[in-house]
This record gives sequence, structure tokens and C-alpha cells, in this order.
Amino acid sequence: MFELLRSEFVAVAIDQAYERRQQDAEGDFWRRIVDQSPRKGTKGTTQGFYIVAPSGELLLFNNNRHPEKVLRLTKQTARKFASSDRSKTKAAAIAAGKVDKRYNPVPPEGGLVVRARGKVLGGYEPTDDRWRKVMQSALSRDNLWATRAEHDALVKGELPGKLMRRLARFHLVDNTRGEPPMWRDDEVRSLQIERDGDRISGTVSLATKDGERGFDAQIFGFVHVKKGRVTRFDLVADGMFWGEGPYTKGAPKGRFPFAVAFTLADGSDVADAIPPQGSRGWVDGYLR
Amino acid sequence: MNVFYAGISLLLLAGLGAQSKTQAASLDEARFVELHALLKPDENVTWRRIPWRIELLAAQREAAAINKPLFVWAMDGHPLGCT
Repeated sequence: MFELLRSEFVAVAIDQAYERRQQDAEGDFWRRIVDQSPRKGTKGTTQGFYIVAPSGELLLFNNNRHPEKVLRLTKQTARKFASSDRSKTKAAAIAAGKVDKRYNPVPPEGGLVVRARGKVLGGYEPTDDRWRKVMQSALSRDNLWATRAEHDALVKGELPGKLMRRLARFHLVDNTRGEPPMWRDDEVRSLQIERDGDRISGTVSLATKDGERGFDAQIFGFVHVKKGRVTRFDLVADGMFWGEGPYTKGAPKGRFPFAVAFTLADGSDVADAIPPQGSRGWVDGYLR
Repeated sequence: MNVFYAGISLLLLAGLGAQSKTQAASLDEARFVELHALLKPDENVTWRRIPWRIELLAAQREAAAINKPLFVWAMDGHPLGCT
């Protein structure tokens, strides 16, 4: 599949929740593709695999997660495209035009992008199910954004409270099995994090009102500054999580060990450009 | 006497075992280093080496230029980020 995608396709990964809502040329192109699929007319999710000619003609839609089936269908469609007139006809490039900024958020200028990765460290019942095994060993990925003012404060040796609260609410979540519920502001039961020189340490306690989901963790890490810039932002939150969300079913029973690690993004990974999951639809609220 | 101490030791060990299931280890610098390394992705995982684009129209323009089809992976939550 890897070689097939590299050699025969232009591979794109998107969060369709943005694409299907945006009112611009990209949104129009996405809706044009979807309207040729069984997802036509849906106001809900348009997730799945789509193979599309450069003109926008849909060649295949599938929402199967079975790798052998996806590989077979993808190979068939590649052959079909190569042997058809479509492969000999040059399609017009679509200009971006005016971009819908609500669904094209960019990191704050002069701020920071920090990679956040979470992992369940134990507690799952043993399983032979291949999909559960994947979920149980998954390492999640999201990005934490810091504003220019927060970056400046870190450079001055401070630890911005808003940044730590954002980190707790939107990034100390178990997103290893799907889209997690973020913590509401009043679900931050306690947040005591201090900075001593280049060291950061503290504790955090998060829990829903009914106590069905929560995370009690210790925080430890380092911030380094050089020539007026943060050059290292390495933190770990390590603790016990409990509960799950509507789209993160299958959590271990009871309290289970869970950790999130943070490190400065350097732009070398394409995923560094993806907006934080918690900012979807309200970047201002996320950065507030 | 030895049996008594052995019994106490077993009880203590059982207690520690139970504790480890409900409480995380203390997060000192050594544990920080261990976890920070553990939570790094394996760069050699095949799917990570696929040259994913994340802008649909930019990908369309590239596909039009080289006349290759687009393979679009669309998810709730970004496939390369959340989920």
C-alpha cells in the first residue's frame, strides 16, 4: 500500500469536519466529491477513503478498515484510471481563491507549536482482536498552541497560567481510541504547576461532575530559552485516568495508568501544521 | 518468627501491587526521561513514510500537474493528528 500510494497517487489526509463546512473553493471541491458518493446529501460525517481523478470525478468510495480490502480496491482503481482516457486528459488546476478562515486556522504568529502525545500505559484486558490490539497500543498525536504573549512570558522565565490551563483542558485527554471529550473549565479540579528556573513541576486533577471520567496526574519537565526564543519545551503528565467518552469507548476498566508527553514542534513533520483538536470551530475560545 | 515476617512481607507486597494499579509511580527526572522516550513515535512505521498532504486543493493542483488520482483519507478528527 505504501509503494502504491507513493507511486500511483497524490495522498491527502483531511479532517472532513472542516472540509464539509468551509465556504470556499476547497469546500466546494470536497462537497462535489462527496455528492458523487453514497454520502451524498448527508449533513453528518463524510469520512471514508475516496479515490478521485484530478478533475474531481469520484473513482471509488469506501469506508472499510480492512487493509486487504482497501489495498485490493485501491489497486483495481489505479489500474482502471491508468487504462482510461482520464489518465491522458489534463485536468485544470483549481485556484484556492478567498479562503474561509474559520476552517483554515493557522498557529499564532510568534507563538509556539508543541506536539502532544498520549498513551495508555496499562490496564487493558488481553485480547486477540487485531483492532483492539491496535487501539490498546496506540500513541495519539495533537498539537498545543501557545500565543506570542505566552511565548514571551516563557522567555522571561514565567509560566503563563492560561497556557497551563489550556494544556490541561485540551491536551490531558485520552485520545488514543478516537475523538475525546475535552475538559470543561469547571472540570479542572486543581492545577498547581510551578516553574523553578528551567524546571516545571506540579500536579493536576481533572474530573467530570459525576466523577465518571477523570485524570489525576503529576507534571514534570523542562523549558529552555536561547536568544529570546524557547528552544525546549519538554513536559510529561503521568497519572491515573478513568472513564471514556462517546467516541473513545473501550477504555480499561477502573483507573488505569496514562501519560501525555509534550515536545516543541520543529515543522519537520507534516502533522505539525494541524490545528489542535480542541480548537475546532473556535480558535479564539481555545486560545482564550 | 520468620514465617511472621514472611507473612508481613507478602501482605506489604500485595498492598504495593494493589497500589500500583490505582496510583502512578512518582514522576521524578528518571521517570520523565523514560516516559518522554516511550511516547515518541516510531519513525519507521510504514504509514508515516507516506508523503501525506494536508491541503486538499494544493493536492488537487499537484494531481492535475502530474495527472495522477488523489487518494483522500477523510476522518472525524484529523487522521494525522487526533485519532
